[in-house]
Amino acid sequence: MNVLEIEKLSLRIGVQDILHEITLGLADKGILAILGANGVGKTSLMRCISGIYQPTAGEIRYDGENIAGLKSHQIVEKGILQAPEGRQIFSNMSVLENLTIGGGPLGTQELDHVLKLFPKLKERLKQGAGSLSGGEQQMLCIGRALMRKPKVLLLDEPSLGLAPMLVRFIFDLVEEIRAEGYAILIVEQNAKAALRIADRAAVIEGGRIVMEGAASELANDSRVADAYLGGHVGAQA
Amino acid sequence: MIDPYYLQQLTIGISLGMVYALMAIGFTLIFGVLNVVNFAHGEVYTIGAFAGIMAIAAFGPPFLVIVFIVLAVGALAGFGLERLAFRPFRRFSDEASLKSRAMREATLMSSLAMSIIAREAMELLFGSEFQTIDISYLINKPIELGPVTIVNGDIIIFVVSVLMLGGLQWLLKYSSIGLSIRAVSNNPLGAKYVGINTDRTIVLTFVIGSMMGALAGILVGLYYGAVFPSMGFIPGVKAFVAMVMGGLSSIPGAVIAALVLGVAESMSTTFVSSVWADMVAYLFLIVTLVFFPQGLFGARRERV
Repeated sequence: MNVLEIEKLSLRIGVQDILHEITLGLADKGILAILGANGVGKTSLMRCISGIYQPTAGEIRYDGENIAGLKSHQIVEKGILQAPEGRQIFSNMSVLENLTIGGGPLGTQELDHVLKLFPKLKERLKQGAGSLSGGEQQMLCIGRALMRKPKVLLLDEPSLGLAPMLVRFIFDLVEEIRAEGYAILIVEQNAKAALRIADRAAVIEGGRIVMEGAASELANDSRVADAYLGGHVGAQA
Repeated sequence: MIDPYYLQQLTIGISLGMVYALMAIGFTLIFGVLNVVNFAHGEVYTIGAFAGIMAIAAFGPPFLVIVFIVLAVGALAGFGLERLAFRPFRRFSDEASLKSRAMREATLMSSLAMSIIAREAMELLFGSEFQTIDISYLINKPIELGPVTIVNGDIIIFVVSVLMLGGLQWLLKYSSIGLSIRAVSNNPLGAKYVGINTDRTIVLTFVIGSMMGALAGILVGLYYGAVFPSMGFIPGVKAFVAMVMGGLSSIPGAVIAALVLGVAESMSTTFVSSVWADMVAYLFLIVTLVFFPQGLFGARRERV
């Protein structure tokens, strides 16, 4: 059963075709990884799902209901939250304010939960969010999304610009929160790590899905290996 | 011992500064969420003053009721202004339009247009001269404090402004709408990702800013007994200077700058003719722009 279904989604901005008939499904409690080089439309797809961009055609079905074209705040209310590219935290506000604002009407229970996942943030609640390190900002960004207890979590390049140790922490965390019952859609440049935790994966090139399947199959596919894994790494797995 | 004359000028300067502060906050809040200057803010001030004296002429309500009427009219003016002059230019949400200077400057023009239309309409309706106001409503009854004579308006302006500024500070720090305003002002895209209704937040920012502007208008109108359609221009310019001096999006900065400006103006009349007092603001503006382009209290903000 898919909790999120994207069907023939197209996006055109000005004269540019950004996305072309994207069709994807995210299973309930599953992890779907989207791979691709820079500028192929991964972030645009994520923005369409979150209602930042209004798709030109196609459907995004969430629990069977078409949510394409809804405003971003309506989509958040439905329970689809994103930790966006570039983190987009509120740098002039405190860490605690960043989290409470993410919580909307929900309260302290979620805050405790988030702070248990990210003990580092607990030490810095009163601090300005702009003063956090890159890794801590990423934690804040993911934590802020979790404050709403989403059913679907979208992660756009969560490991971008992080030290290897933090990358591992983030991916361990993704597995941990999946175990709590979230469905996760993750966009990653770090294909190796993403394929390890994902159930399914898709490759986007030039705004189109060029490959889709079980993550283990893609990891063993020579085309994926050559393009994204720096040689045939899948064979070692 | 300080010459009582200076104490007197200081009180006048503080009342003046408080009025500029109320106005400047409207500018600052709106600049914060939209990164644009609202040129119709001075007319909101005028509309506030006219709403107040019309209420007085119609049924002579007590002072507090006038304040609430003016606040309501100010809220309505802010709401209408956002709909007519600002929202139409926010239809495009793609990055290119968000970063486009032309889109930002379009609202400069549309708000300026609204300001001219509102002013001319008021001149057609009421004539361009001073309106008559029931004298018993003026807030210029002298109060003697030892050697210093102030008027009750100084106290009323001070108390009302402090209440409004304190209320706003509380709102921004602890209420969910205040958090939303700060979030949109800090990172509009991030605000969308956490589920803030940015359009609604922008409207509310206009409403709050315009309530303060309208209130400043009636307070000054009753203080000087001078209400006329072009009364909003000079205070609008002064408040704009205070906003720039304060660093464009810093509320405490704008308030402090407004007070400095008010006191400096009233003190300057000691040395130069009062006709020249307006020059003080322009001098401050030039000095700020040349030596402190970030404003006196401006954070180094990222330009999006």
